[in-house]
Amino acid sequence: MSTAALIVTLGSVVLAALLALMMIPVLVWLERRIAGLIQDRVGPNRTNIMGFRLGGVIQSFADVIKLVFKEEYYPGHIQTGRALYILAPAITFSAALLAFMTIPFADTLHVSGEALRIQALPVDYGILWYLAIGALGIIGVLFGGWLSHNKYALLGTQRAGSMGLSYELPLGLAVVSMLLTYNTIDFNAMVAWQTQTVLGFLPAWGVVVQPLAFILFSVALFAETNRAPFNVVEGESEIVSGHMTEFSAMKFALYFMGEYIAMNSAAAVIITMFFGGYQLPYLSSAELIESFGTFSLALMVITPLIIYAFIRWMRRNNDVRSTLSHDGGRRFEARVLTIVLLIKLVVLELIFAYFAFAQPSALQTQIAVAVVQIAVFIVKLMLFNIFFIVVRWTLPRFRFDQVQRLGWYYLLPLGLLNIFITAIVIVGVGS
Amino acid sequence: MSESIIFYVLALFLIGGASGMITARRTIFSAASFMLAMIALAGMFALLNQSFLFLAQLLVAVGAIITLSMLVIVSVNISERYIPKEPHLGRDLLLGVVIAAPIVALIITALRTHFAASFAPIPDTFGTLASIGATLFASWVLPFELISLLLLAALIGAVVISRKGERS
Repeated sequence: MSTAALIVTLGSVVLAALLALMMIPVLVWLERRIAGLIQDRVGPNRTNIMGFRLGGVIQSFADVIKLVFKEEYYPGHIQTGRALYILAPAITFSAALLAFMTIPFADTLHVSGEALRIQALPVDYGILWYLAIGALGIIGVLFGGWLSHNKYALLGTQRAGSMGLSYELPLGLAVVSMLLTYNTIDFNAMVAWQTQTVLGFLPAWGVVVQPLAFILFSVALFAETNRAPFNVVEGESEIVSGHMTEFSAMKFALYFMGEYIAMNSAAAVIITMFFGGYQLPYLSSAELIESFGTFSLALMVITPLIIYAFIRWMRRNNDVRSTLSHDGGRRFEARVLTIVLLIKLVVLELIFAYFAFAQPSALQTQIAVAVVQIAVFIVKLMLFNIFFIVVRWTLPRFRFDQVQRLGWYYLLPLGLLNIFITAIVIVGVGS
Repeated sequence: MSESIIFYVLALFLIGGASGMITARRTIFSAASFMLAMIALAGMFALLNQSFLFLAQLLVAVGAIITLSMLVIVSVNISERYIPKEPHLGRDLLLGVVIAAPIVALIITALRTHFAASFAPIPDTFGTLASIGATLFASWVLPFELISLLLLAALIGAVVISRKGERS
């Protein structure tokens, strides 16, 4: 294994772990802030470290610290199977984390004849891995709920099991129709396929080519990840907290974080299969490498505008009413962040200037393109996570029988229909 | 070296899970042990570089079969007193091991001495998803479709049997 391969592998693993784990506090914060926005209130914005609030993200860290230091409490009525009871949340958590590991973050690097995938697990069966590992999460729910010896937990467990099974089918059927379209199970090859254009001007993203499969896939994933409107498993107004009722402290936190990682992985799979993954629309990796000088020149112009707008927005919002004498360090935070952002802007401008005016080597350009693609991937990921959150706070929860009817009576036949249509179109195009 | 260490660890989990499944008194521990054995088996396939078998094992055995059996356990709620008493379980198992041991030894010796030379090394494409798909849908398409029909018949049969009471 060469040094380059080692660096790329380590880098991808660290990136994947960071993207999965560091996304949790951000997502929890986003969820609460967006819920506040939709319900016309502010959301968490008070917790701070020396005045630093970062818009409220610090609240998530405070929550984690609270959960870590909470007393480990075992319900007295759980006599046997305590080891399995503790293990159950860990199964759900690790299944969700592992399912994220085959997502490609940037196009394959070519370093001295070696093709290096920017994937934590550089395998070519990405979607199958996601389906296989993602389905394991339900087992932790089943074990935990059954061992809780609690009526509400049992109801939640039954709902989780039967819903997981019913929505696995439309999910699989949507994947099959996408496999027919892309003719591959490799995430990288799927993204490469999506750099084409259809009708001459639209990017051939999965959502353009297969809109029905996109709807089926996302609805099934909403159900698989227990997100509203399908969160009947833990429907608070009906069955307390479902399978999590008897869990407390870090055991509960593992279930909770597992849910957010699963949502994050689902968003990553959706953008990889339906929204061009790490690619910018109309710009394939080869084109981007070829004209990276022009591209960085464009970035040189755009970046200051974005950072200026962001600073303006931050300074306007990170303030208190003028009648209050003490602002709790908000202006101080805004000042420090402004300086940090300006330094960041200067560094970015220097880097862009290097790529625009100096003569970077081919390897440098490749790495720069990979970094740009990782940034594009993260932006798309955040947008889709926000979509998940907005849907949760917009739609009311389904009744459980409605969930099952939707899965079996509508999604399943639609999935079969979509496969038929796809097959006919592919045979028609091929002949 | 590291391969054989992984193999022995997986084998330990496999045997431990399998024996745990038949000796556990509570159904939930049987299910957990079964899951352990199935994951260890998937690990064995991964160790042999058979990505398709590995994924199919996880997808079917762990993802579907364990989930379904857990769902049955959760729904049926079998109390321990309804499970038949097996006072001589340990003795019976030991007896079974003693009886099976010579046959297993015979199979291992035969594989090692007589057949080992006649095994051809497998090609690189063996067991990949593409080669399995090509084999199934090109050379064996009729048996494949017949098996699908059989499964469909079984499915419909299950539905008919389970709905019998409602008709009257």
